[in-house]
Amino acid sequence: MHRSIRAVAGIGACAVLLTGCAFGGGGGAAATSDPDEEVTLTFQSLAFQDATIQATQDIVDTWNADHPETQVEVVQGSWDNVHDQLVTQFQGGEAPDIIHNEASDMTGFAQDGYLADLSPYLSDDVVDSVGEGLWESVTIGDAVFAAPTVMQSYVVFANTAMFEEAGVEVPTGDELSWDALREAAQQLTADGRFGVGWGLRQPTAAFMNLGLGFDGTYFDVADDGSATIDVGEGELAVPEAVHAMAYDDASLDPVTLTQSGGDVLPGFLGGQYGMYVGGSYLAQQIADSAPEGFEWTVLPPLAGSAGGVQGTSPQTLSVPAESEHADRAAEFIDFFMQPENLAAIGQGDCLIPASEPARADLASATEGQTGWTEMLASGETLEAAPFQLASGYPQWKDQYATPLFQQYLANAITLEELQQQLADGWEQVG
Amino acid sequence: MSVITDAPRAQDSGGQDDDRSRSRRTRRRVWRALQYVALVLFVCFLGFPLLFLVTAAFKTQQELQSPDPQLLPAQWNLDNFIGAIERAGLGQAALNSLVVALATTLIVVVVSLPAAYALARFQTRLRGLATGWILLSQVFPFILIIIPLFLMLRPLGLNNTLGGLVVVYVVWSLPFALWMLRGYVAAIPSELEEAGAMDGASRLRVLVSIIMPLLGPGLVATALFAFIGSWNEFFFALVLIKDEALQTLPQRLALFVGSEGQVALGQLAAGSLLACIPSLVFFAIIQRRLTSGLLSGAVKG
Repeated sequence: MHRSIRAVAGIGACAVLLTGCAFGGGGGAAATSDPDEEVTLTFQSLAFQDATIQATQDIVDTWNADHPETQVEVVQGSWDNVHDQLVTQFQGGEAPDIIHNEASDMTGFAQDGYLADLSPYLSDDVVDSVGEGLWESVTIGDAVFAAPTVMQSYVVFANTAMFEEAGVEVPTGDELSWDALREAAQQLTADGRFGVGWGLRQPTAAFMNLGLGFDGTYFDVADDGSATIDVGEGELAVPEAVHAMAYDDASLDPVTLTQSGGDVLPGFLGGQYGMYVGGSYLAQQIADSAPEGFEWTVLPPLAGSAGGVQGTSPQTLSVPAESEHADRAAEFIDFFMQPENLAAIGQGDCLIPASEPARADLASATEGQTGWTEMLASGETLEAAPFQLASGYPQWKDQYATPLFQQYLANAITLEELQQQLADGWEQVG
Repeated sequence: MSVITDAPRAQDSGGQDDDRSRSRRTRRRVWRALQYVALVLFVCFLGFPLLFLVTAAFKTQQELQSPDPQLLPAQWNLDNFIGAIERAGLGQAALNSLVVALATTLIVVVVSLPAAYALARFQTRLRGLATGWILLSQVFPFILIIIPLFLMLRPLGLNNTLGGLVVVYVVWSLPFALWMLRGYVAAIPSELEEAGAMDGASRLRVLVSIIMPLLGPGLVATALFAFIGSWNEFFFALVLIKDEALQTLPQRLALFVGSEGQVALGQLAAGSLLACIPSLVFFAIIQRRLTSGLLSGAVKG
């Protein structure tokens, strides 16, 4: 009898403990540890390019040499499945001490209280080095749930030899308007070759980020993450322009609309497309894969009616609320955010550092290298897109926005139908 | 008269028979040729991805991104293999996968063999329940059970251990292995056991000397299923194993896939090719036992 009572009590205690583990994320109640205690922190990094993996390891080695009491161990993760991995790790209370991911994916975890507030631990230098808009994209209430490290911008790569051959001047200046892009694309289209190739198999992020250039914000987000949608002229300007280039002008290869950014690269390198629109990270692949003598550059940042502003979801570093050494982990993040470190990461991945001094460091490190001036210029106008903080966004994106944009790009629905169904979809999710 | 009239008839019918058998033979030849064509197409269909994998593993980055792709690499270079091994630490990962897959296979076979025999031979209520459990276990998606599983393994200290992974794989593979093996046991005529018993063999002797040898192909098929299933499994390993030194091959191969559709295709192909080898060796060793027909004629009287 006593044994069975003890067993029941034991099971109950386990259940309470487990429940505590599963739902204990408080958000902000970060643990502090004895400063003399020797600890080892796990840092799950998603660095992909060889140069970035090396840069990350170098940063960690430097930190470890200077901080014998707080050793950091890198565990390599993968972008492809980080969300599922984090869901289970948070539920089981086994998340790494330092988490690398992107802001839009971490927002949901922050809203559920799984992430520590980093604001008490970040130095003034680090806080001042990153624009206010970016901090807002990683802040809920007063709690900063992540530190933004590097960002992707959408850029236009150009095959300069094809421009020359067609007698078209390569656009220069501070900005490239969408009309100028269309015009150049039409001039380059001839002999079975297209002016533009754009891998838009997953079009939502591209359309929503570039939509900011037309004041197309899509969502009005309240502090609690609830949001209302407004799909108007600004929001639809980019999809409409892409559709027009593909079907009215026939200057954009419609096949590329069904491909990923990387799939379109061989066509660009083979002279099938004069211009290639995609994330700045593709510059690394072009540099690695281009045949000898291939001449290319990056055109000025694309600008809509509201200028060259683009939305972005920065890559971030966060600390779980339950980490036993949240203070030490946050100190490491502060170190990681130093300009020379972010510049090295940005250079490896061809991404734009979130911090101003890191961008300056990167500009001097890459002086004279193809495309970097234009890519860094496009980084100056990056802003946190409002959709990141809308709590139903990931579901809406997968269930409604992406299929609807795909149908529109396949010429299966009209612009009006797209507009209506995007809004209706949000009603279903919200 | 009859001779005169019958001879042409006989000749006629003989000619018709010849025609018929000739056309039958032609039809058979055409049919056989079509079968070979279908077989060649089928082999191409199965073999091409493997050929693509092999050639991609030896191509340079420029060749992989070439707008004018060639099937064979211009030069067979090993850079992708070196890169894959250095970047992903495939050696340790292969060892971990091998340990986990072999342990899983062994446990699954040892547990499912007696259970399958009992399910096939004994008429109990458990039989229906067990069948229901087997079918039910197959319809649960991974994502639904992974968090409870994680919470169960944690207090037992099995998270982030290869032992924990083996436990999960055994539980995951067992229902289907049991289902497969039960079918093999049921296919062995019970008359063979009765004949053994009539000759004075004990039940144990019957099992060891009659049933076990006849179950060979079934055991091999079950072992293959358990081995390949745990060798290739990714999601459970991703969630349960955190320590890099304990990660399995599929986890390490996932590192070649980046965000926004970026893939280190050459290294991924090289890594996947290396990852295939132990599986192919295991299959080559035991597939000879995957024969059937041992029972044909066993109970014909």
